[in-house]
Amino acid sequence: MPDAKLVGTNYLPPDHIAKVTGRAKYAEDFRADGMLFTKLLLSPMPHARVLYIDKEGALALPGVKAILTADDLPDLNGAEKALTNEPLYVGEPILAIAAVDEASAAAAIEAIHVDLAPLPFVVDPLDSLRPGGPNARRGGNVWAAPQPPAPGAQGPPPPPATDLVKWTEADFADDEGDGTRLPMGRALEEWSFGDLEAGFTDADLVLDETFIVQSTGHHPMETRSAMAYWQNGKLYLHASTQSVAATVAGVARWVGITPADVVLICEFTGGGFGSKGAGAVSSAIPALLSKKANAPVMMRISREEESYIGRARTNMSGRARVGFTKDGKITALDLFLVQDSGAYGPMGDHRSCGNAASLIYQPGAMRWRAINVLTNTPPRSQQRSPGPMQADGIMEPIVTKAAKQLGLDQVAIRRINAPEGKAIYGPAGPNGMRPHVTSAFVKEALDRGVEVFGWEARKARSGQRRGPKVRGIGVAVGPHGAGSVGFDSIMTIRPDGKLYVQSGVGNLGTHSVFDLARPAADVLAMPWEKVEVIWGNTGKHLPNTCLSVGSQTTHAMTRANHAGAMDAKRKLQEIAALDLGGSPDDYELGNERVYRRGNPGRGLSYAQAAKRAIELGGRFDGHSVPEDVHQITKTSAAALVGLGLMGVAKDTFPRDGNTFSFVVGFAEVEVDVETGKVTLVDYLSVGDVGKVVNPRSLMAQLNGGSCLGIAHALCQKWVIDPQYGVTLARRFHYNKPLTILDIPNHLQATALDLPDPETPVGARGVGEPPVGAGYGAVLNAIADAIGVDAFRRAPVTADIVLMSLEHGRRMHEPLRTHL
Amino acid sequence: MDPVTRRNFIKTVIAAGATASSVGYLFRGPGALLGQTPSAPGAVERLITLNVNGQMRRVDVMKQETLAMTLRYKLGLTGTKLGCDRAECGACTVLIDDVPHYSCSVLTHTVRSRAVVTIEGLESPTGELHPVQRGVLDEQGFQCAFCMPGFIMSAVGFLKVNPNPTRQELAHGISGNLCRCQDYDKILTALMKGVEYTRGASNA
Amino acid sequence: MAVIRDVMPAFELFQPSSIDAALALLDRHGASAWVLAGGLDSFDWLKDRIKRPSAVVDLSGIAELKGVRQAGDGLEIGAMTTLTEVVRNPIVQQRYSILMTAAEAAASPQIRNQGTIGGNVSQDTRCWYYRAGWSCYRAGGNICYADTPTAINREHAILNADRCVAVNPSDTSPALIALEAEMVIRSSSSERVVPAEEYFVGPGVDITRMTVLRTGELLTAVRLPAAWAGAHFYFEKVADRNVWDFPLVNVAAATVMSGDTIARMRIAVNGVAATPLRLPAVENAVRGKKRDEATATAAGELAIVGTVPLQHNGYKVPMLRNLVRRAVRGTENSWTS
Repeated sequence: MPDAKLVGTNYLPPDHIAKVTGRAKYAEDFRADGMLFTKLLLSPMPHARVLYIDKEGALALPGVKAILTADDLPDLNGAEKALTNEPLYVGEPILAIAAVDEASAAAAIEAIHVDLAPLPFVVDPLDSLRPGGPNARRGGNVWAAPQPPAPGAQGPPPPPATDLVKWTEADFADDEGDGTRLPMGRALEEWSFGDLEAGFTDADLVLDETFIVQSTGHHPMETRSAMAYWQNGKLYLHASTQSVAATVAGVARWVGITPADVVLICEFTGGGFGSKGAGAVSSAIPALLSKKANAPVMMRISREEESYIGRARTNMSGRARVGFTKDGKITALDLFLVQDSGAYGPMGDHRSCGNAASLIYQPGAMRWRAINVLTNTPPRSQQRSPGPMQADGIMEPIVTKAAKQLGLDQVAIRRINAPEGKAIYGPAGPNGMRPHVTSAFVKEALDRGVEVFGWEARKARSGQRRGPKVRGIGVAVGPHGAGSVGFDSIMTIRPDGKLYVQSGVGNLGTHSVFDLARPAADVLAMPWEKVEVIWGNTGKHLPNTCLSVGSQTTHAMTRANHAGAMDAKRKLQEIAALDLGGSPDDYELGNERVYRRGNPGRGLSYAQAAKRAIELGGRFDGHSVPEDVHQITKTSAAALVGLGLMGVAKDTFPRDGNTFSFVVGFAEVEVDVETGKVTLVDYLSVGDVGKVVNPRSLMAQLNGGSCLGIAHALCQKWVIDPQYGVTLARRFHYNKPLTILDIPNHLQATALDLPDPETPVGARGVGEPPVGAGYGAVLNAIADAIGVDAFRRAPVTADIVLMSLEHGRRMHEPLRTHL
Repeated sequence: MDPVTRRNFIKTVIAAGATASSVGYLFRGPGALLGQTPSAPGAVERLITLNVNGQMRRVDVMKQETLAMTLRYKLGLTGTKLGCDRAECGACTVLIDDVPHYSCSVLTHTVRSRAVVTIEGLESPTGELHPVQRGVLDEQGFQCAFCMPGFIMSAVGFLKVNPNPTRQELAHGISGNLCRCQDYDKILTALMKGVEYTRGASNA
Repeated sequence: MAVIRDVMPAFELFQPSSIDAALALLDRHGASAWVLAGGLDSFDWLKDRIKRPSAVVDLSGIAELKGVRQAGDGLEIGAMTTLTEVVRNPIVQQRYSILMTAAEAAASPQIRNQGTIGGNVSQDTRCWYYRAGWSCYRAGGNICYADTPTAINREHAILNADRCVAVNPSDTSPALIALEAEMVIRSSSSERVVPAEEYFVGPGVDITRMTVLRTGELLTAVRLPAAWAGAHFYFEKVADRNVWDFPLVNVAAATVMSGDTIARMRIAVNGVAATPLRLPAVENAVRGKKRDEATATAAGELAIVGTVPLQHNGYKVPMLRNLVRRAVRGTENSWTS
């Protein structure tokens, strides 16, 4: 590892001045001559077929320029399109109108008559699984299990298929008779390892509990507004996306053009949290309307529209039977999940939920079963910690209950089950082996947290009551996949002596878009002032880049840029050796020069080396690039040829294991037993997230991610009326995102800063693991305060708490979703 | 599976205790058409002068136009963000006569003869950042920063009333602003740094 | 006709500078006029294009509607006085601090900077079926979508429902009732003054209105008598979030002690019915009693007499009981089980 001067230190991101002055331009901040505005006609029904659209009245209105319907969009092989002729949820866009202003577009929408034939619909997944229950789609009610590709199969995998599954009355007949346990009928997906029955036999305590993890809207502050125009046959799209380089392919597919004809501009993204992973399918609307109207088109998405098309967390109802030894070790885990994929998908949260449960609790034996149900509710997408966060929700109340029954400390029971080192998780792969992680230091994180949080002192007052306020403490481990491999980097050292790093990462506030240049600069001993990061516009020639989702970016792109910088370094050394004699290995880097070891005077400045690279051409200035880089990278490199010395490489560093990060959350709450109100008093997160690249941003990720989990424990929700299939919680005061006054005014966060051994920079991702930690820790703290059986759903709002305390048992509807 | 007919759907709805108008509300009867009726006697005139960031700006404003839309679409001041357009998130916060308001929920016609300051108006004429902006810069407050202009304007407005707040008081002062990155902890740290700088600036 | 939201429809805008001019405009435009105070409730209706007035009468330019002034031995607060101005008024702070507390509990700083006391007490319900534009009883239809076996009605009424189960969401209203405030209402032809608790109407009286205001009338001021100035006050609001949220239940009480017994008390709650409710039974029961746990417990039980919970709002019964108990007790902290 090179001297890490920049990695591990704070810095001012180069975009920050633009942000604090309001000059940062997000998608809706762009204007173009003759720009039209579009408004959407949304489905009023949860499931219907468009029979006829009368556009005459709308077209006759002044200022109306074009109307776009689903018929104008390319077929996506059954996948979600930006507009539909068969709306599958209330709020799904049916058509869009472009007009000279929003008032005209809105009036034109009102002048449209759509004849809809209603179709059966369902809001709650269990209702769809009941005998005779409605199906969300005409083709079925569940997603079939994905099929492994046939041996020797070529081309893309087949599109996901729906299936029809109904459970029996017997499946719904609750063995306990109180309707509080999730029925477990036929599951379409299943895996297991170990001897489950032996595990339960060996257990001293077996618990069987159900938990309902709610859905919530992602609701980034910036909605998915977009503006589009065409120039010389190319689409210029100002969109809001988490990823930049990796968004182009999707846009091209949605619009029906080749990726080479897409220029995506997104220098600033107002948040995504998984809802804008590879952009938004709705961006096809301004793109195609612009083509049709032959004018730029702005699509301003309202907050209510964002409630419909803006994506939501995959809600999950889980039932777990868990066996514990006397000392708390989990011997067996039988996990059953009913996942609600909404109207589209299929979502895979259920799989990552199962993997996460197997990872953080390290059961001796485990079975995972799941069914992935379609409902006529707004589309889901991965939301910050998709799956692992649900695992925390489903599992943590059980582990806490076991700790209470076994007389164990909450930390102790997590510690005895915690993953360690190259911990194994999940089911066996095709090679018969169960996968393992690159590294895990969860026990160290638990120990650190006990010390920093003052766990023992807080434990002494937990359960104590002062007036109507009772205290409780909780801890939980949030895991998440935290890094991918195999992406590319391009950087150039130019005759001005500066290092230009092409960054294809989205700028959604994590700063990974700039962080990735720091290890590159370290390798090249380049001062940060001489580093220019080029980002936010695919017209600026970006390398093949991972999606900025799944906490993978920091890991993936520090590796790729480490590789690219090593390539640039080697070229500097080779040029020096060519010009000044000796072998490349005789040269080292420093003071913006490449020089003979021990003789700093004998060398070239980076500026000189850049000029020489251009003169030499070939691989030195990008005329030829390594064979193994992606075609996207080759195309971009070709456009940067001759600008300077080019470092271009694919990340081929070995990696033993899959990269995961872990965050441990510690929470203390105060519950008012007279009002049911829960107040979070204190919170600490401890990150086992590898080498720290950007300390200040890392702490912000830990705190921000924790807050999302805290919000899910305390207040955030969404609500759909089951009778009409209509989203009721369309407004913030209905769906209740966390405010600044819902958390203590200081959050604590710390990181172990232990490098991951399987990546050259040592860094792992951090965005997601805090979410499950926050969710689980707060749920556990509430349970600690008022009893481990007080609730089995989230958010744990005043009504749930108060009714439980009032009646001495849970009173909330046990199995219903979307409340 | 056969699609159910509209008639059946409506029947179901009626049987469930609703009426056909539950569908009808979504396809409501004709309403007022767009456009702008000519000003009636005693009504406001469209062409008005606004005082924005210390400049007098002449602008043609529809009667129903909100200040946020005027700023963003007529005056080119896109630093003021629309997060919800419903007075719930604070991204559009501007100062009107030094007081923070949700500009999405202010009719532009109501701010004639009042002083509007947006994020673009905080820098000094010589281009120096406002102390609160400097605090945010130095502490790297905010992540995606879409909410940042609104938060900064709320803080600047709050400091005019309470120039020396505690961290908790400041949290209350800016509590009308949402951050979905939920970077609240660092936002408070950054804005408290801005408080410190503001105090320093006013003492100087 | 298809629905579109979030584009305010066109209207004619009038900005009178006097009450008389405003009243003349209201007379001229009748039912097609919309009175705009702070606008924070209005803009929702307008942006949703559910309400489509042809004339909007903006009261923000009427100086005589603004400000807090001495009136006799009490106080008069102009209806267009912002909640922030109410909160910061020294006399309110000294003599009527319960109104300060209640006003400060409303919504968010920006809303309090713009929202007015008149608007806060006159605002419409936030029932999410009604606000979505569904043609329910309150909207002139013939069904309540919130009161069906499957409806999601966690925020709805447990008392005095009559077809409609919506609740009044105001935080200041119960405080005004506890202070025995009076509402000054003017029309072009007359002025009437109604006690605060009579300002609000339930669905049994008029299912489409929240207040007694008739077409052509304006609420011009709120008067606070001296009767409860400086009393012992208790205000508490329980909401899901600690800012920008409507109350699940709130309570406001003014208590005057005589030695260690309660000489008189006025107490009101909100979030439980379509109107804020004064609780005379509680007031009568506690008069002359010691301010102790027994009195508080009895008061709490009285407060919930007649409650009828819906599917999802049963919690409001103990919440109401406990808040009334606390208000009578005068503190949230002396409670022991």
